Amino acid sequence: MVNYEGQLYTIEGVAAGLIMLMTAFIVVGTTSVYTPGDTHITDMQLEQMGSDALHMMNTPNTSAASAESALQSMIKNNEKDRFRETFLSFCNTTAGGTTDTLQYSTDVYYRDTLTNSVNRYHFAESRNLTGGEHAVRVTEWVNINGAGVPPPLDNRIQAVLVEVLVWRD
Amino acid sequence: MARLNDDAQWIVLMGFMVSFSLIFLGIVINQSTVVGQTTAEGVLEFPKNDILNVRSAVLQSSGIAIPADFDNVKKDISLIAMSRKNAVVSFGVTDAPPGSPYTKIIDIHFNNGVTVYNETTNY
Amino acid sequence: MLDDGGNLSIDFLAGMTLFMVALIWVATMIPGLLIGLQSRTIDYDAVAYRTGVILVEDPGMPANPPWEIKDDLQKDEIERFGLTISKETPNILKLSKVNRFFCSTSFSYPDDYQQRVIFGDRPYRFNISLTTLDGMVNNSVGDIKPYGYGYIRRIVKMKYPSNTTIQAPNFKNSGPSANVTTHVFSLYINCTNLLGDETNPAYQIDPLGDQITVNITNLRMARVFTNLLTGDPLYNPSSLNSIKIYRQNPTQPLVQVRTVDNAYIDGGSTLSAIPPVPPGPIVNDNVSIIFPPGFFYGMATDNTQLYINYTFTLQNFGDNFFNNSFTSPYPYDYNPSRVTQPRLKEGVLEVAIW
Repeated sequence: MVNYEGQLYTIEGVAAGLIMLMTAFIVVGTTSVYTPGDTHITDMQLEQMGSDALHMMNTPNTSAASAESALQSMIKNNEKDRFRETFLSFCNTTAGGTTDTLQYSTDVYYRDTLTNSVNRYHFAESRNLTGGEHAVRVTEWVNINGAGVPPPLDNRIQAVLVEVLVWRD
Repeated sequence: MARLNDDAQWIVLMGFMVSFSLIFLGIVINQSTVVGQTTAEGVLEFPKNDILNVRSAVLQSSGIAIPADFDNVKKDISLIAMSRKNAVVSFGVTDAPPGSPYTKIIDIHFNNGVTVYNETTNY
Repeated sequence: MLDDGGNLSIDFLAGMTLFMVALIWVATMIPGLLIGLQSRTIDYDAVAYRTGVILVEDPGMPANPPWEIKDDLQKDEIERFGLTISKETPNILKLSKVNRFFCSTSFSYPDDYQQRVIFGDRPYRFNISLTTLDGMVNNSVGDIKPYGYGYIRRIVKMKYPSNTTIQAPNFKNSGPSANVTTHVFSLYINCTNLLGDETNPAYQIDPLGDQITVNITNLRMARVFTNLLTGDPLYNPSSLNSIKIYRQNPTQPLVQVRTVDNAYIDGGSTLSAIPPVPPGPIVNDNVSIIFPPGFFYGMATDNTQLYINYTFTLQNFGDNFFNNSFTSPYPYDYNPSRVTQPRLKEGVLEVAIW
């Protein structure tokens, strides 16, 4: 092997090394390791809990024919404080006795029969949104049956969508 | 030119082998991070609560006697679902045949672009 | 290349070294590619979510007859736990299922639960807790939670069963010969009406699957009798000789199915036995029977009419005491003035897995 003819071992070695390194960098760059979806997990937990809370608020406690669910009567009578109390007690109570720190902001979407468009009005919030919160959106359909609803809802039997943004402080 | 000493080609060959195996590994991992997408995303994507919700709203409104009111509620649900939930919701209520223990037959259709749900139920 | 000179050219060494360095560098980068696939916390949260759904949105398997009426010897027949009343009522839990699930004498942590609610090959440790918002119910099963764990919280409502309280003075014996010593009071459970009048399982009184409590109170007031000469109240205790259960299926005759062997008498906290042969225990003021969930399961179907007949015997003299033989049996139904209806109470269920 040792002779004074031109040999190319070094060049070959350099070339091989370059090829391997370039491939490695390209591969590592493209497979971009996903962060283990942390935000998705907390989002999923929050969304499930918020949906549960709204669903339970929309279930009447007895089956009497005139029984309304808590949510129906809150929308009809514009009871913001009662909504705050009920929703926060549902969301912030834990089985261990500690309290969680969830906040909410609620809008109600309804259909305006005159213009046949969907409008909204702001119903309640636990504190003002500052825009930096990472919130999830949960919704619940509520059937309102007509008499004595607050403006801007029409006085008719209708279905409205209650949309709550929930976030953890 | 005298024949160049190409004994060292095996070094480059080794280099290429390592590169190819890296590329293969990269492809496998790339596919797996998509397939093994977190369960949380899968849960978030399936509209379980939306469907349950729409279903119970429709079942509740099936008791409305006056057809004009019922039509209004139908339009409410369709329009609001389209605009806020990005879902097509349509439903219909017909009377059950006489002699059946149920009073109504209800058809529900829900499509939010990813999941389609159709149901025909006695109520 | 083969010769026996035993020396390598520097060119070769340089090339080889460069190659080896590059190879080692690339090899150390490979584990970085695989890190993302090994995260454990996703797994715990996913298992916690799945357990939450199994408990809160599913009635369990077997659902009919329900798993909670199987006793400890039959616990192998229980395939899966589930706390909700039925598939159509997710998030609404049945109190009898909750009590059975958290019963530490029936099921042992962790094996019984691992096979029936956690599933999976890894031996997960867990803690499942349920509490009502008013703090009255607080159950939990499992270990103390460590620092990091997968977690889900579900909000539920629990269905508390119905009961009835019968004021004895309202049911004095009418009829031609009212002052007798033997009195029969009949309670009527019409399964057809109970299951047909209210089809929503969340509000339904299910005689086969729910707990039914019958309290008869104020028996003392039903027999106030004053000695006309002295003005003193006359004491006329009664003995509860038997409580018999009759059933009538459609197109079948009325038959006696069994007797109730014990009851809570006069506010006692333990059961008093009712012997098969009279005389029975002396009752001064009240009698309570709690029919546990599934009590009527073997003896009744959806269309059965059940009658529960109490037989009292007055000890000293005849009186019109407490008797509805000449009127109609007392119906256990959806009338809220007679029967306290099932009600829903809010609660929170938490599942932690690690």
